[in-house]
Amino acid sequence: MKQLNKIWMNLGTVASTALGRVPAGRGLTVFPDDIFLVGYFRSGSTWSRFLFGNFIQQNEPVTFTNMERLVPIIYNLPDRVLRTLPRVLKSHECFDPRYPRVIYIVRDPRDVAVSFYFFNLKVRVIPDGYSLDEFVDRFVAANVVPYADRVGCWQDHVLSWLRLREGKPGFRMVRYEDLLADPAKELTRLAPLLRIDPTPERVERAVRLSSASHMQSLEKQQSKQWAAMKDSRQDIPFVREAKSGGWRNKLSANAVRTIEQAWGATMTELGYELVMDADRELVKG
Amino acid sequence: MAPAQGSAQTLIGTLAQAWRVLIGRQIAGRGLTVFPDDVFLVSYPRSGNTWARFLLGNLIYPNDSVTFSNVESRIPEIYFNCDRFLRQLPRPRMLKSHECFQPHYPRVIYMVRDPRDVAVSFYHHNVKARNIADDYPVASFVPRFIAAEFDRKFGSWRDNVLSWTVLRKDAPRFLMLRYEDMKQDPIQALTKVVDFLERNSFRKINFSAEALQRAIDLSSPERMRALEKQEAGRWVLTKGTRSDKPFVRSAISGVWKSQLSADSVAAIESAWGDLMQSLGYELVSTRTAASVEPASVRGLRS
Repeated sequence: MKQLNKIWMNLGTVASTALGRVPAGRGLTVFPDDIFLVGYFRSGSTWSRFLFGNFIQQNEPVTFTNMERLVPIIYNLPDRVLRTLPRVLKSHECFDPRYPRVIYIVRDPRDVAVSFYFFNLKVRVIPDGYSLDEFVDRFVAANVVPYADRVGCWQDHVLSWLRLREGKPGFRMVRYEDLLADPAKELTRLAPLLRIDPTPERVERAVRLSSASHMQSLEKQQSKQWAAMKDSRQDIPFVREAKSGGWRNKLSANAVRTIEQAWGATMTELGYELVMDADRELVKG
Repeated sequence: MAPAQGSAQTLIGTLAQAWRVLIGRQIAGRGLTVFPDDVFLVSYPRSGNTWARFLLGNLIYPNDSVTFSNVESRIPEIYFNCDRFLRQLPRPRMLKSHECFQPHYPRVIYMVRDPRDVAVSFYHHNVKARNIADDYPVASFVPRFIAAEFDRKFGSWRDNVLSWTVLRKDAPRFLMLRYEDMKQDPIQALTKVVDFLERNSFRKINFSAEALQRAIDLSSPERMRALEKQEAGRWVLTKGTRSDKPFVRSAISGVWKSQLSADSVAAIESAWGDLMQSLGYELVSTRTAASVEPASVRGLRS
């Protein structure tokens, strides 16, 4: 039975290759004008697809059902199809030297940990009741699930882009927290990279069509049609708090210590205040 | 190329790929299955990687010597071999790669070479591969080399070198070697490699003075040139390239001094000067441009 299943899956791969239906992923063809929205998992990249999609596209508001067409992710559609779509692409790749224009979104890893934990519950990688502390150990070691582990841990990912591209013309970094606090300001700052004239109307429209409440109501209507999430647990939402600092009442002191011990210097560099002192004792609550 | 011919080629490419999938022979490349005990031999192209495969292969396998015909089953490269074949090799494996920083490579020996020499070697390599004509000026090639127009997926020399060194420089599972140091004192370089492999519990290696010397002798440019003459038509890397141009070229460092114009040298140094200096490559042109590298590249060499 297992053997049969394997053969069947193999034939499926053969057919999709012959028909040109293998998702692009790292085999993506890159064009010189492409724009990439890059970030680690659960760092606001779906929200940014809405925000930047609505900022760039003026005709059709981005929703969960048209998102794959308007702001496609590189992991779902084949290269052949992606070549015909608007070239604002979402990617979770670690440093890729070919990406010509990159908006890199970074988020406090303590919040990423919490969000990634709930996401993996939703997609059934971990079962209900799985300890968050144990998950954080795996998260820090990039030992969660193979597709994610491949792009490295949070720090590898952030530093790979930052150290290679910071200060270069085709690269802008934005903190999720700043994007959340003042999206209009950040959109205006990033407009030149997108070659967009940031008129107040255009900025306001993008922010309005990408608000957490708007996205939450869209998810309620569309989660069954959204290919990426239709088979996941419907009792756990994809759009969660859309807030920063949620880790403070979710993570144990031990989990916070684990993260800060591993990545403290990078977190400080990015302006994420540590709550453990040099002896890893809690100094701030 | 006519559009019809172009799409016919695309179709053939697609079908060929489907055939490879059918028989389980897709090229590994970036889709490679990585095992936790793997060791990767990584470098930018034309940085002495093939020589290192001979050196290390001759050291690790003392019973017979490395040739172009068996190197792909000793220290295979990931771009010409299929994942299934690579998965079946005895573990722990040592694999050759040209990738920029890959966070999931568990252990990495990274080779770096003076980019001025890389430029010269890469130029001749592209002539051999028929990417540029015999009389294509080196002076026109250098700016394209700086812009990473050839083998774009590996990035520029700077992207490749900086990505590995800045992210892994202090990691116990990372070892950086300069091509120039390896040429000058291969015994010392091999000793470093052996230490690294021992530390990372690779297979047992005989590293007596005789064993090291044997590996060095079996990997000399003369021997490699002789082997290339016999085997170039069968080796995946050289098959189909111009046979009048050798793959194993000068195998010395500093060739750029006689082969690059002052302008070409200045172009490379102004693009990557800070990184070159931090790796110990002395600059020769008077620099007018302000430093373009972020502070992060300073002090890479410990």
